[in-house]
Amino acid sequence: MELKMTELTRRFGSFTAVDHIDLTMTNGVYGLLGINGAGKTTLMRMLCTLLTPTEGTITCNGKDIFKMGADYRKLLGYLPQDFGFYPEFSVRDYLLYIASIKGIRPVVAKKRVSELIGKVGLSKAAGRKMKKLSGGMRRRAGIAQAMLNDPRILILDEPTAGLDPNERIRFRNLISELSEERLVLLSTHIVSDVEYIANEIWLMKDGKILSQGTAEELTGTMTDRVWKCFADKADVPKLMQRYKVSNIRSEPHGAQLRIIAKNRPTADAVMEEPNLEDVFLFYFGEKAGENDAVI
Amino acid sequence: MMLLFEIRKIFSRFKNRFAALLLLIVLGITSILAVNKVEYVDENGNSTTGITAAANLRAVREPWSGYLTEEVLKKAVEENNAVNASTEANSTDIQEQNKAFAKKQGFEEIRNVINEAFSGWRDYDYYAVDSVSPDEAGTVYERRISQLKGFLDSGEEYFSEAEKEYLISHFEDLETPFYYESVTGWDVLLQDISTFILILALFIGFFISGIFSDEFQTKADAIFFSAKFGRSRAAGAKIGAGFLITTVFYVVFIFLYTMIVLGVTGFQGAGCPIQLTLWRSVYNITYFQAYLLIVGAGYVGTLFAGALAMLCSAVTRSTAAAVVVPFIILCAFPFLSRIITLPQICSFFPDQLMEVYLHIKDFDLVEIGGKVMSVATLIIPVYAAVSLLLQPVVYLVYRKSEVRN
Repeated sequence: MELKMTELTRRFGSFTAVDHIDLTMTNGVYGLLGINGAGKTTLMRMLCTLLTPTEGTITCNGKDIFKMGADYRKLLGYLPQDFGFYPEFSVRDYLLYIASIKGIRPVVAKKRVSELIGKVGLSKAAGRKMKKLSGGMRRRAGIAQAMLNDPRILILDEPTAGLDPNERIRFRNLISELSEERLVLLSTHIVSDVEYIANEIWLMKDGKILSQGTAEELTGTMTDRVWKCFADKADVPKLMQRYKVSNIRSEPHGAQLRIIAKNRPTADAVMEEPNLEDVFLFYFGEKAGENDAVI
Repeated sequence: MMLLFEIRKIFSRFKNRFAALLLLIVLGITSILAVNKVEYVDENGNSTTGITAAANLRAVREPWSGYLTEEVLKKAVEENNAVNASTEANSTDIQEQNKAFAKKQGFEEIRNVINEAFSGWRDYDYYAVDSVSPDEAGTVYERRISQLKGFLDSGEEYFSEAEKEYLISHFEDLETPFYYESVTGWDVLLQDISTFILILALFIGFFISGIFSDEFQTKADAIFFSAKFGRSRAAGAKIGAGFLITTVFYVVFIFLYTMIVLGVTGFQGAGCPIQLTLWRSVYNITYFQAYLLIVGAGYVGTLFAGALAMLCSAVTRSTAAAVVVPFIILCAFPFLSRIITLPQICSFFPDQLMEVYLHIKDFDLVEIGGKVMSVATLIIPVYAAVSLLLQPVVYLVYRKSEVRN
């Protein structure tokens, strides 16, 4: 399975959401990392045939996915960021309906739905109305619908958004488990979501891919740029103004800072092993510091 | 399966279930109002309405069933004259006069036919029969044609030569003598069913207005369109659901309304010519055929309004916008007709599909390429074809939808 994007561009009026992207995916987990508004959702919507490109092509094993139509979509599982559902349907009915529009025969669908409900831990809530589910449970129902047709291509747009830490870890493990022998594209603005499970990470900003590689390759580009230092609390604002600070830990006599800088920021600063959060901060700056990004 | 789920989606919503319940209540109220139009006056001059009244009326009219031959018409005039000569009829007391009227109820509908024949064109005289001699009664059918010819020659309204020819030939073609059975039930049904059809069409429009916008409103569109059949069979299932809901609701509720009204007022008279009560009608059809025409036109109107509502729903992605469409088409157009100075154009507006009873009642001619036809027989197939053509348009619009929000 190969999904290839060539010069992929999407404009909305004068705004370019996705700007001449060339990427190729084969089996494995791909993490699309970027701040909100980077163009991740637009890119994913094009991959799901929900939006047509203004320029460029997307091919699946050499064939244009928009020409393939249903033949392509039968390979596809998609969990959108704003996961809409039918509020009055029970979880089971919702999944059976999605199974029907995915072209799964009723007998097979019933079996598959029961299997997936168990797999995502919704057995006890199978008869409950979708509108009565918690955010985490809805997400699990969402991943179940995406997996109904046993897709070869699984596209997950911000699947952990709004989940509590436990749910997020559980979800990450579930995705990891599901990723075998398929192509998974996982979009997020939360570094830890992709750090351990993605085979390749793409950093996206302003519709372009800034950098791509494995977590090790990306952090490897920053080996001499991450510093740990201790500073007086009064000096912290000055340091924050001057450098990108990825972490501050308050201590009785001052604060311990993790700084990204080309040169040693203070005399006592020591070099640290970079992690993906540092890379994220380096590329995306202040906006990377989302409250939940550290989990 | 998809079709079933589409229907379930619609009726899983509280507002639609509530609307269905409301429709049942409306059915009850409108049927009762129709049934209560039937009035019977007993031998003591007391008036009653409803089930018993209808049954009594049927019973007194039953002996008059049969062909309205010269003899029967003569007999009706003689009986009318006899009642008029009675002390009750000549009394100044209303109750006594009612007693006299009670005696005329059996041949009241035949009396009306004679009245029509001996009144001026579009100038109904309830007492015309009182001045008719028994020997004149047999001229009823000839008078219908001569009345028409007189009206056409008077120049009160403009008719082309082709239209005049059409009208005269249709009047002459009407089979006489009329076969008579009490047509009270059918008359009430035909008069009132149009209002119920209009209400029903608005309710159906309400049900189906969300079919194509629901996914966008609930943000379920991304999953829907990324599914294998999201842009093909699933979109087709939505059209199927719209069609099925329109048809099933229409058929079931019209059936219920008809059964309630006729169940109370009587089914007899279905095979009688509508000219028994719609004297000037150019349609040479029976009450049952008129019923089918009115109901059929109503169905086409409902289908058309529904198809436009679904198209609006698919284009605007808004249920609120779509739900207004049937109302505009079926209710606002009549107001438009009043301000538009070309009444000929207004006859072709879709709201006319709900007014076929009025078309049947009087002349509604249109001349196209020298061929004269009645408006109802033109607009029904035209709007039926447009409604059918709109279905693939809705399908194409919807399947090409992009998910942007």
